[in-house]
Amino acid sequence: MQKTRQRRPLGNPIGAIVFLLAVTTFAAVNAEEPQTTETPTGSEASQDAGTVQGTVYYHPDPKRKWRYQRFYVKNSKVGQLAEAVVVLTPEKRSREKSTHKPQTVTVDQKNFQFTPETTAIQAGDRVKFLNSDNQVHNVRSYHPFRSFNVSMPAGKEHVETFAKAGRIKRPYQIGCVYHSSMRAWIYVFDHPNFQVTKTDGQFELKNVPPGKYKLEMVHPAGELQWSQEIEVNAGKTETVDINVSPDDVNKKDS
Amino acid sequence: MTDQQTRRDILKAGATGMTAALAQMSLPSFVFPAQTEDEDLVPFLDMPRTGPNRLDWETLDEWLTPQDQVFSVQHYGVPEFETEGFQLEITGLVEKPQTLSLDDIKAMPKQDQLMTLECSGNGASKGFMNAVYNSKWTGTPLAPILKQCGLKPEAKEIVFFGVDRKEETLRKDTKRELKVEVPFGRSLSVEDAMNLNLLLAYERNGEPIEHRNGAPIRLIVPGWYGIANVKWLKRIEVRDRRYMGRYMGRDYVTVRGERKDGEVVFVESSVTRMNLKSIVARVTRQATDDKGVPVKAYGAAWDDGTGVKQVEVKVDDGPWQTAKLDEEPHAKFSWTFFSIDLGHLKPGKHTIVSRAIDVNGRIQPSADDDEIALKKTYWEAYQQWPREIELES
Ligand SMILES: [Cu+2]
Repeated sequence: MQKTRQRRPLGNPIGAIVFLLAVTTFAAVNAEEPQTTETPTGSEASQDAGTVQGTVYYHPDPKRKWRYQRFYVKNSKVGQLAEAVVVLTPEKRSREKSTHKPQTVTVDQKNFQFTPETTAIQAGDRVKFLNSDNQVHNVRSYHPFRSFNVSMPAGKEHVETFAKAGRIKRPYQIGCVYHSSMRAWIYVFDHPNFQVTKTDGQFELKNVPPGKYKLEMVHPAGELQWSQEIEVNAGKTETVDINVSPDDVNKKDS
Repeated sequence: MTDQQTRRDILKAGATGMTAALAQMSLPSFVFPAQTEDEDLVPFLDMPRTGPNRLDWETLDEWLTPQDQVFSVQHYGVPEFETEGFQLEITGLVEKPQTLSLDDIKAMPKQDQLMTLECSGNGASKGFMNAVYNSKWTGTPLAPILKQCGLKPEAKEIVFFGVDRKEETLRKDTKRELKVEVPFGRSLSVEDAMNLNLLLAYERNGEPIEHRNGAPIRLIVPGWYGIANVKWLKRIEVRDRRYMGRYMGRDYVTVRGERKDGEVVFVESSVTRMNLKSIVARVTRQATDDKGVPVKAYGAAWDDGTGVKQVEVKVDDGPWQTAKLDEEPHAKFSWTFFSIDLGHLKPGKHTIVSRAIDVNGRIQPSADDDEIALKKTYWEAYQQWPREIELES
């Protein structure tokens, strides 16, 4: 099937409002839009599933500075937000047993920082923690599902399996006992419909089973939250840009 | 209430407090005066990001640190207790022991103290260099209370105990291992404790002190490292001999080699007063012109109240250049902001470092100088801190 990248205009009325906002503020984005070069595989080309895509933008307000902006927004004029977790949370949780093949992702400790700071995986996946500093670190997490506390001398590796999904509300918060400013978050989901944005702020969630969802965005390091109801239809691509501002910093859980 | 809500409420409260404090002090400007709008921040290379409750050096522009950038370190955890009915005891070698409620303390003469408080481990590594903040503490002076209690002639030391307690293990893994539950404590000599600038503080920047920072009462000892400023103060005890609790006698003990007749002799000493220190907080640039990249540096310098006389800044292997010290705001025990126009630099990587010089001519040492190089413990990390940057053309 031909991949539909109908970024604009939108059929979705909710998205359209967001889109209007986005197009007026960020007219420059269009020209820079990177081309998707992935070739759809057999399963990805399914007519039975839909796609949700868009870009996460942070709109600065000079009067209300968000201190972390310089870490996560490369170009403040465009506002593309990096390291945001975007996830489609289904209205009804699937009862099907997961067929996901466990994968291993890496989180390094480098320059007294967890890299990446924010990671999203599926239940059953493993995280391999590394220490690239010439310094003793530690990896610890207190979580109702799994707690651990491991010393990390220089060069050590530690692999941890995250068997249970904490979903968007309960990420595994990772720290180092020696350096309290070192922080990381591992989001574990029980489905594959999530992504962590890169510096272009873009996300594309493919092969989403049709149905009603909540499109949610959380930026744990920057304390940003956002969500919106969305319907995914078979064979269709919805484009929803996520626009956040200082109003969304430390927003109370809805 | 969620954590996030709590934090937001605190932020809000902090902001109001700042405004109140600023209005009260009516100081002309709390922003680095030399910075203009066309200057862009040049991020330091390979530095970790600054999270919440840490001083964000690169955005430093407020002389009094906002609450969301205030660090807190505790050794026996943050104690949970009812502040209602809270009482402070003054006991030991005094003629008239006293028990004071928070209201009693608040009814006593009010005094403000402007002060930079630094954790003595601050600057020990890249992962721990944001544990410093400047405040206006409000409380009542300690000395008149001690006088009123009447120190007995044999009084030598005054011990300050917090509410926080923990089981300590001495001589661990030996036959003589000893486990004992103790309250957190630090002591001062009678002479140091009677200094008129010590406070029993209950407010920071015009707001009640936050619990994690030691509410309801925190001992404030201007010019001393953070550890001496005992949080959750519960008991003041006058004694006739040295108190040797863990944080006086075993931890917060600097081990340093000193050269004596060509020989290095190691000396262990308790961490007390803050050392002369400065740091480049931020580097900015303007657009490249035909001479190169115009660069400026901003920073802060502080000490134990002796007096910072000068700050110098060096780029790569160049000469030390004198920075401009802000005349206002200024307070004896608070940091002084400095700025310097470094002229035009070539695109590429550079190292920028500052050093402070005090009124007695003492110079902030580099990491290679004996007093730092022969220091075997990480406390008192006041060495010069070189900052790496890369200027794009
Ligand atoms: Cu660490």
